[in-house]
Amino acid sequence: MEEEEEEAQALLAGGPHEARSGAPAASRALSAVCDPSRLAHRLLVLLLMCLLGFGSYFCYDNPAALQTQIQRDMQVNTTKFMLLYAWYSWPNVVLCFLGGFLIDRVFGIRWGTIIFTCFVCIGQVVFALGGIFNAFWLMEVGRFVFGIGGESLAVAQNTYAVSWFKGKELNLVFGLQLSMARIVSMVTRLMRPNSKQQVELRVSLSWGGVTCILSLISALALAYLDQRAERILHKEQGKTGEVIKLTDIKDFSLPLWLIFIICVCYYVVVFPFIGLGKVFFIQKFGFSSQEASAINSVVYVISAPMSPLFGFMVDKTGKNIIWVLCAVATTLVSHMMLAFTMWNPWIAMCLLGLSYSLLACALWPMVAYLVPEHQLGTAYGFMQSIQNLGLAIISIIAGIILDTRGYLVLEVFFIGCVSRDALLSVVLLYLVIMPGGGNLNYSTRQREEMKFSHTE
Amino acid sequence: MYSCGALRRGWGHCAPSPILFFSLLLSAAPFGLLGEETRQVSLEVPTWPDVPQNLLHIRAVGTNSTLHYVWSTLGPPTVVLVATNTPHSVLSINWTRLLSPEPDGGLMILPKDSIQFSSALIFTRLLEFDSATSDAAAKPPGKPYPPYSLAEFSWNNITDSLYPATLSATFQGHPKGDPTGAFANGSLAFRVQAFARSGRPDQPPRLLHTADTCQLEVALVGASPRGNHSLFGIEVATVGQSPDCPMIQEQHSIDDEYAPTVFQLYQLLWGSLPSGFAQWRPVAFSQEKAGRESALSCQAFPLHPTVAHSLPQSPVVQAFFGLQEKYCTFNLTFGASTGPGYWDQHYLSWSMLLGVGLPPVDALSPLILGIMTVALGIPGLMLLGAGLTLILRCKHASEYQSIN
Repeated sequence: MEEEEEEAQALLAGGPHEARSGAPAASRALSAVCDPSRLAHRLLVLLLMCLLGFGSYFCYDNPAALQTQIQRDMQVNTTKFMLLYAWYSWPNVVLCFLGGFLIDRVFGIRWGTIIFTCFVCIGQVVFALGGIFNAFWLMEVGRFVFGIGGESLAVAQNTYAVSWFKGKELNLVFGLQLSMARIVSMVTRLMRPNSKQQVELRVSLSWGGVTCILSLISALALAYLDQRAERILHKEQGKTGEVIKLTDIKDFSLPLWLIFIICVCYYVVVFPFIGLGKVFFIQKFGFSSQEASAINSVVYVISAPMSPLFGFMVDKTGKNIIWVLCAVATTLVSHMMLAFTMWNPWIAMCLLGLSYSLLACALWPMVAYLVPEHQLGTAYGFMQSIQNLGLAIISIIAGIILDTRGYLVLEVFFIGCVSRDALLSVVLLYLVIMPGGGNLNYSTRQREEMKFSHTE
Repeated sequence: MYSCGALRRGWGHCAPSPILFFSLLLSAAPFGLLGEETRQVSLEVPTWPDVPQNLLHIRAVGTNSTLHYVWSTLGPPTVVLVATNTPHSVLSINWTRLLSPEPDGGLMILPKDSIQFSSALIFTRLLEFDSATSDAAAKPPGKPYPPYSLAEFSWNNITDSLYPATLSATFQGHPKGDPTGAFANGSLAFRVQAFARSGRPDQPPRLLHTADTCQLEVALVGASPRGNHSLFGIEVATVGQSPDCPMIQEQHSIDDEYAPTVFQLYQLLWGSLPSGFAQWRPVAFSQEKAGRESALSCQAFPLHPTVAHSLPQSPVVQAFFGLQEKYCTFNLTFGASTGPGYWDQHYLSWSMLLGVGLPPVDALSPLILGIMTVALGIPGLMLLGAGLTLILRCKHASEYQSIN
């Protein structure tokens, strides 16, 4: 609080001074940028944080944007192509538990970030080399190394954000980082080779490498600034504060397991579909390559503005299960439209984007209502871990189905996942929660009343 | 299942729905064009002394009709398809006339008045393009090399490659004069297969066939291309009974189960249905093991009228139809300048279905229907159950309160 007041005073004081004379204002602005307690300096840090994630987000979707090129030039089938995504997910099945631990106890946030960025960089370089030398196995190795760094880097990024912005602009920062991720995903999908030459594949892959190096530079700069801030402000080094106890898993309740099932079954029908979607839109709907990239990225584009909006809505209304049910049902409808109609796929993909944003806002917070706070880290770690496991396995299965049975069967398989598993789990969850009177489906007012009666 | 999408380059018309077909069929279709569930199929190679065996007669007899497919490599590879409304129609060949310079009337289906439909396809030329030039100098598929005239090919003895068990036979040929030695280790093959009942082959594109159809697989194997990025194509000519050229219709389907990622089906229709048809998926393969990784796109160009003297002449067609002034031709090309291509393994295969009556229509497979039933049925029942439970619970609750 004190800091904030200081800052406010500084800003107020800064205003009139700047109006009076130019030269002192410039030096003042410069000192503000260099002063870790000032907003200007924090904005600089925020910029670096966004750049930190830039590389990994940019490169994650590199294969999808280059699917046709990779499959053409390397002559791999879709099953093998989807391994590029699976190899990213495999290390994260384990690292979701370990990321927080490594940052807190082993490396510290600064070195942790640098090391994870190095992994991202090396991974992308190896991936690009594989592309340049036409060696698919090298690309797979690259994706694995990239995966080791990727998700943990996101944890590190969040930790930095908390340590610099807690009690200040934290929500805005999270929002900005998320939007950054979405926008970057979109840019990757749109930025694809126009020409058919293989040179373009190389250029694209090399651009990925450049963004990763940019991330590495940001990591180094952040480490320096963070250390400097520690020296000047006596600020502690950021920690994730996650405590992971694997033995907690046996205490997880049935509703929590149902949430895990919903999570896995839901995400596997979104991400692997997007990974394979481009060819689908080109072949089934006769889209041009650019159009197909655009529609394939519309899910991310929609979720950038809608996530905060839906988050606000769910916060206000409560009733998370009903929202999850709506999201799952909408996704089901959207996949049915894609599979069985020739209707303009923009409708279906926009629906998918909306439901994806809604689900993310309604599902993840439910865990917090079901698990005591000391187990929260384990529960979220586990959820991410099995989500990655699901993504890895389903990516491979989706590739196999597409190669042997085509898109219609793949879509029907996805519909099966959403409907039989996810929808069924939501309904079961509802039934399980109802008699126990759990607060998952309370409206916000009910939750507040509960809190009020507890405090009384 | 099918919808008529925007037809490229303004071909043809939209086909009416299958239901309309059936009602039309029941009211107006002549017997010969009515489909039959099963047929007695026989493959016969008519012979004549001192003549290479290059005529294959496929006779498919049903209860009320007979279909005749006469395949021949006398001249360019040709098929004459004839539908009759009697199970007793026969092919009659006058060899001296057929082999003479004026073969008119050398080939007949008797009785003549039983013929309900007849047409022919002639595979006149093997085309080759330099796709490397497709961007700069010429439009895709690229700058053409001089084509190989298939009339100038020498073909194998058909009895050597006749397999009565599978109802199939293969015509295999290479150019008679081959100064560059391009076909030293290569050949062009036309594999023909007939069917006694409906089914689907194991190899993509897995076109659904019926007893009324015949499958043709064209395979180019081992021939040396004239450039590093040669695309191959084939020129096809047809005779029709109507003055206008038949149309190629592009159908869009939601179902790609049997040919993954191929949602289109092309149909060449000789006049209004039911009549003769050729059907193919726009996909070819660059490896013997046909799969997604070896799939090439296949472009079909619109039919256009062509004067007879600019085409290699087919004696079989002239023998059956008489001297023709005009043919309709179209080109098919396989592959694009990048991606898999003939250059990978010097292999190219493409297949089409040829038949009379209504073209076979794919239906959703039991696999899809099964999964959909389970996938939508269980949650549907659960939702219903949950709804009922809720209603009952509310009822109970209200009763309980009222007692209080």
